Amino acid sequence: MPYSSKFKDHLAHPRNAGELPDANAIADEKNPVCGDRLRLSLIVKNDRIEAVRYLAYGCPPTLVCGSVLTELIDGKSIAEVTNLTRADLVNAVGGLPSRKHHAAALAIETLHAALASLS
Amino acid sequence: MARAVMETFGNASSVHGFGQQARAAIDRARREVAALIGAKQNEIVFTSGGTEANNLAIRGLCEASSAQGRHVITSAIEHPSVTGVCNELEKRGWEITRLPVYANGIVRIEDVAHALRPDTVLITVMLANNEIGTIQPISEIGSLVREQRAAGQKHLWLHTDAVQTAGRLSLNVDELGCDLLTTSAHKLYAPKGIGALYVRRGVRLHGQNVGGHQELDRPATTENVPGIIAFGEAAKLAREELKERSHHDSALRDRFEARVREKISDVVMNGDREHRLGHLSNISFRFIEGEGLLINLDLEGVAVSTGSACSSGTLEPSPVIRALGVDDELARGSIRFSFGKDNSEADVDYAVEVLARAVERLRLLSPLNRQDLQDFAGCTG
Repeated sequence: MPYSSKFKDHLAHPRNAGELPDANAIADEKNPVCGDRLRLSLIVKNDRIEAVRYLAYGCPPTLVCGSVLTELIDGKSIAEVTNLTRADLVNAVGGLPSRKHHAAALAIETLHAALASLS
Repeated sequence: MARAVMETFGNASSVHGFGQQARAAIDRARREVAALIGAKQNEIVFTSGGTEANNLAIRGLCEASSAQGRHVITSAIEHPSVTGVCNELEKRGWEITRLPVYANGIVRIEDVAHALRPDTVLITVMLANNEIGTIQPISEIGSLVREQRAAGQKHLWLHTDAVQTAGRLSLNVDELGCDLLTTSAHKLYAPKGIGALYVRRGVRLHGQNVGGHQELDRPATTENVPGIIAFGEAAKLAREELKERSHHDSALRDRFEARVREKISDVVMNGDREHRLGHLSNISFRFIEGEGLLINLDLEGVAVSTGSACSSGTLEPSPVIRALGVDDELARGSIRFSFGKDNSEADVDYAVEVLARAVERLRLLSPLNRQDLQDFAGCTG
């Protein structure tokens, strides 16, 4: 399946790229099989995500899932983002070939790990 | 090509006039393809492409020679259509020696000599690599094979995959000393889906198809007449314009590489700098992965390729780049750039401009590029 126009837009113009020096929730997850890597840093205050940045290394779906994920969670409450699923993210990027769903899985795992690290 | 489809619609195996017209057109094309590689017309077998030709050469020869031996020598950087057949033969009990290529991407003749055994029936080493363009010492291997034959090893044969090379370098099968040579039409700007195998007179191949008698029972399938006609015409043009095209391509390639070095840091040019084809450039970009770069370039109209493939969460870095002994990050970040007769200096300059932007964007995103983290913290797209 061809990548969606939204996918291409995020690949060419990644949103929220970078790190937050004063983040209070950080996760850096790696797919041990393919080596794709996603790093997420959040500033969470009063159970709400006030700022989010991401870094990514890997195939285009991994780069795009990171970017789209930051848009999905920015400004949302912890309760709202906790239930985000891999399928939600696949839909949000405009669909992915099934062999690339691992990229969405890595992004969701990284989000959960970041929330678990909340200090 | 369109005229060939309209005017040469007979089946070349038919005895009626339309069929014979098609047969004559195929024979003309066969002469041109033979001339491109210094072969005789009756030594050319048309196939559906390079993959079929490689399969026919290796499997066909091994099956016909199994009584003399079951050992094959190949290299670590062959095209998948060669490695695939070798792997399959190995599963069937054949022994395969895969020669290393070292950091420059070139097989060493002493390793070939060392790997030879009394039961070796085939050496299959590509003439030039499809990802990094390094030219292999085929004429030296050919000399070695002739020496072995003179010493009594009559059943030893040499195959070379010249898909990347035909039309790029001046080729002569006698000077190379090869017995089987693979070419493919689309590398000469003809349509996809047509190839050819040179089979030196006296070499026995076991046919891979049964039920047909075309192409001397080897592919044994109805000929793709329009494709073959186009292949013949492309071979003629490639032979006539070889020097001009080679000079054009290598000048563009050199311009490209000089500008990349000027504008982009942390790059590694893969493969030997001297013994390589003039139209290919293979570069690894540190801190980023090749497929992301490929799609970024594609979005801006620049088509490149990567030898790495990611599917189902399993990444297979390019086996060719890995064979050079580099780390996984470099193997994952390698891109092949190809230059052809229809490219211009303006195309090259545009490609470098787009490439520099894409590399910068992906590096800003990369967690591997640690030293820059502080510089872009807080930057948003």
